[in-house]
Amino acid sequence: MASHHLIETFLAGLARCRLPADALDELADGLAETYHHHLGTGLSPQDAAARALAEFGTTKEINAAFARHSPARRAARLMLVTGPAVGMCWGASLVAARFWTWPIPRPAVIAFVASLLATIAVLAAAATSNTYSRTRIAVMGACAMSLLDLIMLFSIGYAAPGFVWPMALAVPASIARVGLTLRQLPMLVAR
Amino acid sequence: MKADSQALKGHLDVLLLATLADGPQHGYAVKEALRDGSNGRFDLPTGTVYPALHRLEAAGLIAGSWSVVDGRRRRSYQLTAAGETKLAGERTNWREFAAAVTAMLEAKPWPATT
Repeated sequence: MASHHLIETFLAGLARCRLPADALDELADGLAETYHHHLGTGLSPQDAAARALAEFGTTKEINAAFARHSPARRAARLMLVTGPAVGMCWGASLVAARFWTWPIPRPAVIAFVASLLATIAVLAAAATSNTYSRTRIAVMGACAMSLLDLIMLFSIGYAAPGFVWPMALAVPASIARVGLTLRQLPMLVAR
Repeated sequence: MKADSQALKGHLDVLLLATLADGPQHGYAVKEALRDGSNGRFDLPTGTVYPALHRLEAAGLIAGSWSVVDGRRRRSYQLTAAGETKLAGERTNWREFAAAVTAMLEAKPWPATT
């Protein structure tokens, strides 16, 4: 299939964006179709390639569009939107259960809080990224958040002196978040 | 995208579904149908149509399949049953909405005072 060096250079640039599997073939086909359409109207190969590339959008625009529609970015946004509600449930639970009296070493508490902040930062980076490959760090953020949920669930089972009513909200919320993450994980990893 | 990027925002999904109402299309044909069907008002950069199609596919509203054309791999999309249902619902909603807005915006004669 005849192509043009401008188009080949453009596709090489797109390949470096690490877009979803098979997307490059699809983009290459669309670009070739556009190029041949313009050749058919009588433009020279150089002009047809230039016109096709102008219609197609820049690598930055295309990368940003893939990022905008990325399931990983949507998952990160969902976690960030729902996170404060889950966090407030846990906060209320911990205060009501007087967590400062629990037999948990202070370094472990500090490590947990630091991990939570790092996870939020990772999710925020994925949720706001205009680069497709960077949205994929949401997978890491979602897994980390699920791990922190499991640590909280284990902690109340291990260290909490008894049940307090906010746990009736916090525990199902965390279990639901872990379940949702597990359900979405195969799709997030695949794309 | 040209002048109507804000107008298109929020309606892209249903417009893409509408371009597939007459049968399977590949990405470039979808973009052309969107431009031609809107008399050139919705002229997206071709490359940005593909991720939107991928998202609709992930949502189960369209289904993609690969073929080989002129030695190139080509992915074509068609509406699923869920996509057809969604398109029909959105069409009805849009007609009702458009009728209400038109009724509000169209000039009405002043009522007689005698």
